[in-house]
Amino acid sequence: MGIFKDRKERRTGAPGEKCGSTRRDFLRTAATVSAGAAIGAPAVASALEFDFEAFLQKNFRELSDAELKDVLARLERKYSEKYGKPVSVGAIGPMDGVLFGYGLDISRCIGCRRCVYACVEENNLSRDPEIHWIRVLEFERSAALREINLEDGNPYYEYSEVPAADKFYLPVSCQHCEDSPCSTVCPTGATWREPDGIVVIDYDWCIGCRYCMASCPYGARHFNWGEPNLPAEQVNPNMHMLGNTPRKKGVVEKCTFCIQRVRNGRLPACHEACPVGARKFGNLLDPNSEIRYVMDRKRTFVLKAELATHPKFFYFWGTEGRD
Amino acid sequence: MENLKLFAQFTRGSLIAVARGGKPYYAWLLGLGVLIGLGLVAYGDQLSRGLITTNMRDQVSWGFYIGNFAFLVGVAAAAVVLVVPAYVYNWGPIREVALVGELLSVAAIVMCMLFVTVDVGRPELLWHLLPIAGTPNFPHSLLTWDILVLNVYFLINWFVVTYILFMAFTGRKYNPRIVLPIIFLSIPFAVGIHTVTAFLFTGLKSRPFWHTALLAPRFIASAFCSGPALIFLIFRVLRKVGGMKIADAALFKIGELLAYAMALNLFFVGTEVFTDFYAQTSHSIHARFQWFGIHGESSIAAYTWSALGFNVVALIIFIVPYFRRKLNLLTLGCALSFFGIFIEKGMGLLLPGFTPDVLGEIYEYAPSANEVLVGIGIWAVGALLFTLMVRVAIAITQGKLRVARA
Amino acid sequence: MAGDEHDPDGERPPRIQLTVWSVIALAVVAVAGLFTVRLEHQPETTRDYPPRPLIADGKLALLPGPEIDDEYLPCSDCHGDPERETGPVPRELEDEHDEMELAHGDLWCLHCHDSENPNRLRLADASLVAFEDSWQLCVQCHGKKLPEWRAGVHGKVTGSWRGDREYLTCVACHEPHSPATEPLEPMPRPRRPDEIALRAERSQEK
Repeated sequence: MGIFKDRKERRTGAPGEKCGSTRRDFLRTAATVSAGAAIGAPAVASALEFDFEAFLQKNFRELSDAELKDVLARLERKYSEKYGKPVSVGAIGPMDGVLFGYGLDISRCIGCRRCVYACVEENNLSRDPEIHWIRVLEFERSAALREINLEDGNPYYEYSEVPAADKFYLPVSCQHCEDSPCSTVCPTGATWREPDGIVVIDYDWCIGCRYCMASCPYGARHFNWGEPNLPAEQVNPNMHMLGNTPRKKGVVEKCTFCIQRVRNGRLPACHEACPVGARKFGNLLDPNSEIRYVMDRKRTFVLKAELATHPKFFYFWGTEGRD
Repeated sequence: MENLKLFAQFTRGSLIAVARGGKPYYAWLLGLGVLIGLGLVAYGDQLSRGLITTNMRDQVSWGFYIGNFAFLVGVAAAAVVLVVPAYVYNWGPIREVALVGELLSVAAIVMCMLFVTVDVGRPELLWHLLPIAGTPNFPHSLLTWDILVLNVYFLINWFVVTYILFMAFTGRKYNPRIVLPIIFLSIPFAVGIHTVTAFLFTGLKSRPFWHTALLAPRFIASAFCSGPALIFLIFRVLRKVGGMKIADAALFKIGELLAYAMALNLFFVGTEVFTDFYAQTSHSIHARFQWFGIHGESSIAAYTWSALGFNVVALIIFIVPYFRRKLNLLTLGCALSFFGIFIEKGMGLLLPGFTPDVLGEIYEYAPSANEVLVGIGIWAVGALLFTLMVRVAIAITQGKLRVARA
Repeated sequence: MAGDEHDPDGERPPRIQLTVWSVIALAVVAVAGLFTVRLEHQPETTRDYPPRPLIADGKLALLPGPEIDDEYLPCSDCHGDPERETGPVPRELEDEHDEMELAHGDLWCLHCHDSENPNRLRLADASLVAFEDSWQLCVQCHGKKLPEWRAGVHGKVTGSWRGDREYLTCVACHEPHSPATEPLEPMPRPRRPDEIALRAERSQEK
């Protein structure tokens, strides 16, 4: 598996810049080694199933190439053992000249929620307690002769058939904002925006303070309140460390534009699952992409534009009505 | 060094001082111990099962713990209200008791840190916040600022108190040239910690209920209503059971300060109410929820009106000189002020911020039994810490605890 | 403090005060400095990267549509019989094809099908196309959809956001005789926040 295919581009930041100095590394090594020594006998720790390496693992952005390789290998071993099948964990970096954008045709979405569950399967979401990264809001078209307010959206609709009469649907997930409030407020730097626009979380670095959840205007971030439950037979073994590795209790997670797929040229799982083709995806910097076609010709809008988060999730009407 | 030996004696002496006491003292300690034990059990359950033992969910992702944290930062900051007249204006009656205010600050900051610790999902990784070993997102994240200023404030207060008491223990007077700069520093830091805590909330543009410039001034005003009120109540207890001599003049002065603080606080509440209700926007729904409830979900409204009632009655007691000079009435006023602000700034701040959530959903949050037990446990830890420190302080300032002369 | 014996005029602050203040100031600056992380917090926007057409070398392949049910094929089995006359007047079919729902605006069979060449469809200029190329018929009336379909905005494109892509033909989603998309059964609604508890707790509650 070519986990190092695009490794030289993995670093965020200007090309050629090193993250951190050797002196800082020395100090950190000294600090962590003494911290490790101070913790106690490894025998006791292993008896208590305490994983030292996992505990002392650094922030993803500070890992050197060699360290990252070790971390990925350890994660692969851990998950392969846990789920009883071979698992691959990659960390492919962003591509040059790519800024991902998503389009959502609200004239087409019928609220079937197939995208929600495709995401659950692709990204190894906890089944119980249930976590959904996509939330489909149902709105009334006429809304009692009033304007339609985001507050009137109802995600809990239940019918035998959709679309229901006089309703339209708006799926909401992480908007991957250019100016994301979540990455600004995270106290440990566990979430950040990658150069290709995807806002990612280092699940092993997150301390679970949930400040990012308070700051997200779209309700896109979800917390593992309890230990996530993921049946082994339903695990998707193709993982990216910043994407769909199974999380543990106490960390925040959210949509990653299926980073494990899109950085390999594939489409996100929700896009592929949509039976009516309401979802569009591509490189905003490529004038020939389907998302640019939408942006250049359709009237696109974003949610809560007044907050100046500059989301990359563009809603539009593909058709004038149901024709 | 001579001082080190003396400090060792000081430590030993303090431990002896807290170990001695009458039946009420031990009963108090035992009671606190029970509460702490229950809190530990509840927290252990939370550690093993996760924060699902609380009633917080994605829609209301902060609740009881952070509400208490915000309130207690205010209490810690308000100790400075006593320090200012004592040292800046050199006003005797307060000066003797300013120390107690600083001790309350120390205990309150410890409680704040504990509330944050129990709120995070992975407390074993809190070291990620430290410089060098971790990667704190400074200066972008307000939480890193909060950690910085809270710790500095804690160290300032702890140092001043320890130094003054240690010097008194050895029969020497503290050197004002060491103490005064630090105390002068603690004044902007007190305002600073509470402003930074307010900015934690103000800086969230996703939560229009908090995204107001008035939040920081409101925090300061309400801190000055709750902190000194608590100090007043503590003084009354200490006069009675701790054998501490506190002049009535000091207590009445606190009442006077509280009048100004509560008047300002209620003025701020009034400005918020006007802004939210006169020209309503879609954001006003949070204030509507706070005062009246929405769609039948109205438990928070009862608390909001109660808090207002408490505060207004407290204001009347503080402002009218005839009422203020009656010590028992003033005590009632302080209790009302304390609980009124606790409601207003604890859950009364957190819940309307999250309800309805960013996508318009209403999840009616009330803390679970586990959360309340952990919270009470933390308050008991603070009370215990304060009790022990005050016992040492009283013993030293009354001359009962002194270095053994050769 | 004024009146200090080393400084009778009280103008210069005594040394110890200066020392304490400097130590405090240094400590605050040092701690604040240590806190500053040198990670790239917000990477520079990539908007000034020159756009490169990443799908220039990708192929656009039209996926074959769904297979037609064998009982209808080949049409010439029945309609090739010279004794069987094709009625030109639009009417409701009773003998055959009555199970088929026809709900395509005002269209009727012979608008698209050719009575002389039953195995083909007929375009407006009388030229014939195979069933697999039925999209050519659709775009005659629904011409606005053609460029959007080609760009992937109308309908469904799978495969890759760059590189090779596959398009679905019109009839993959729109049954040509009643083209309105069928409603689907929605998948289950999400759990409400008060329904989220660990399984063990829920089973105890029952």
